[in-house]
Amino acid sequence: MLRSSGLLCLAVALCLSPSPASAQTGDGDAQASENAGIPRTRDSKPDLSGIWQALNRANDDLLDHSASEGVPAGLGVVEGGEIPYRPEALEQRQKNLANRETRDTEATCYLPGVPRVTYMPFPFQIIQMPDVTTILYEYVHATRYLYTNGSPHPEGPIEWWMGDSRGHWEGDTLVVDVVHFGDQTWFDRTGNFHSDALHVVERYSLLDADHINYEVTIEDPKVFTRSWKMRMILYRHREPNFQLLDYDCYAFEWEKYYPYPGR
Amino acid sequence: MRLHQAAVALAMTVALVSLPASVSGQGAAPEQPTAPWPPAQTPDGQPDVQSVWSPVGGGTQSLDPAMSSNALFQERVTGVGSRNPSRIVDPPDGHIPYQPWAAALQQELEAVYETPTRPEHIDTQTRCMGPGVPRLYYFPRFRILQPADSVVFVWDEYHSFRVIPLDGRPHIGPNVKLYSGDGRGRWEGNTLVVDTTNLNAKSRLDVVGDFFSDNAQIEERFIFIDGATMHYEATITDPTVFTRPWTMRVVQKRRPDEEFWEWACHEGERDSAESSSQIVGSDAGRN
Repeated sequence: MLRSSGLLCLAVALCLSPSPASAQTGDGDAQASENAGIPRTRDSKPDLSGIWQALNRANDDLLDHSASEGVPAGLGVVEGGEIPYRPEALEQRQKNLANRETRDTEATCYLPGVPRVTYMPFPFQIIQMPDVTTILYEYVHATRYLYTNGSPHPEGPIEWWMGDSRGHWEGDTLVVDVVHFGDQTWFDRTGNFHSDALHVVERYSLLDADHINYEVTIEDPKVFTRSWKMRMILYRHREPNFQLLDYDCYAFEWEKYYPYPGR
Repeated sequence: MRLHQAAVALAMTVALVSLPASVSGQGAAPEQPTAPWPPAQTPDGQPDVQSVWSPVGGGTQSLDPAMSSNALFQERVTGVGSRNPSRIVDPPDGHIPYQPWAAALQQELEAVYETPTRPEHIDTQTRCMGPGVPRLYYFPRFRILQPADSVVFVWDEYHSFRVIPLDGRPHIGPNVKLYSGDGRGRWEGNTLVVDTTNLNAKSRLDVVGDFFSDNAQIEERFIFIDGATMHYEATITDPTVFTRPWTMRVVQKRRPDEEFWEWACHEGERDSAESSSQIVGSDAGRN
């Protein structure tokens, strides 16, 4: 029920969104005039603060897919419906798919990387301040800091599960540049993957008070022949008193031993 | 796993030993950051205490006496004890007022934490489980953020966080248990009072096995004393485990604003089931 209503919302939101052309060019002025009703911070930026969640099947599969046992069908989130793998990388992706029960870092409960953490089927909370926007995720209580104080990425090489995020505002769009990844995380459960050369650019734009247009550009010359994009809507949780809970999945196998068995 | 801990402890020791030398070489002690007092107010009228904060003499080895794993390591190397007082300020004797069965369990755990023979002998911190409340407040540092109608605590270690609503909302239902519990806060002058319930009690209070149950309720008081100092006091009430409520205090100091970089724990663990099974049976201690 939730899923079908979510898909309905997705369709409505897409209908209400600015034209794809203006959204994709990041034309800040055009968006600002369209988005006059969005919440704003004291420094006049669009205020992304709140609890949000993606309502799509991207974590199952970034691309269009039919239903299979336990996996709902889904419309893809990749622009053009194709991920431009280099030939040898495509072979690796097929191997990943065959070994996904053990190789997917979701199965081992590792930090899921960016942008996957955004479309894990769990809520996350954005706390926006002038110099840094903090994001707290329910999934394995991941955290991110999107610095908007003009600071550069620290000098690499660094391999972080969640990368290093430095943002700036282009009009009413928060643009976040993310680098310094490892090569362990995947984009979804089907083995779509990247290398440590991954470079992610996220674009967060409020469509109205309760919807964020979220666009991601993926670059990784070791794995892809060109950059590619995904796009999805993030929905604000409007339930009264909604809050993040816990999903510490790596701890489930140990929980029975604490505080003391049988007491 | 213990090898790993020893290596971390050694590295920390080297860092701590070398730090004063380099500082004294520059001829100045690190300056204690401070902020105007009384504090400025946030737009929604809270005392603005946003900063990085660190416990004085932090560490999670034991509460009674207050000791870090690093201090214990140094003590073993040098043979000189640190003689810290207990973190427990009530009862006055500084001891956790366990019921007899609970005291026996804690002593059993303390005796085996370095030579585990059962999965539950291993401290939750070693398993990367969320340290929870109040243990997080004697971890090395945390950041306070104050968005409208809430106080947010974020740690670099374990990438733990807590969001404390100040809007008077009720607690979540009793069937939801959380690592850091469900906190509801209010300001009394410059003291933040947080009522914390819904604790899953999957964490322990320290390495030597001090614990409470999921029947616990904690009243936390963040008493801001001046622009540089905060006293964290946690009063734990748990009639399942203790004979009376008891209170610990951890003095916290404002720290320079600095970026928190990624601190992953469980990631990279190749086969946690295997590493656990090694502690059980004839080859106990190999781990």
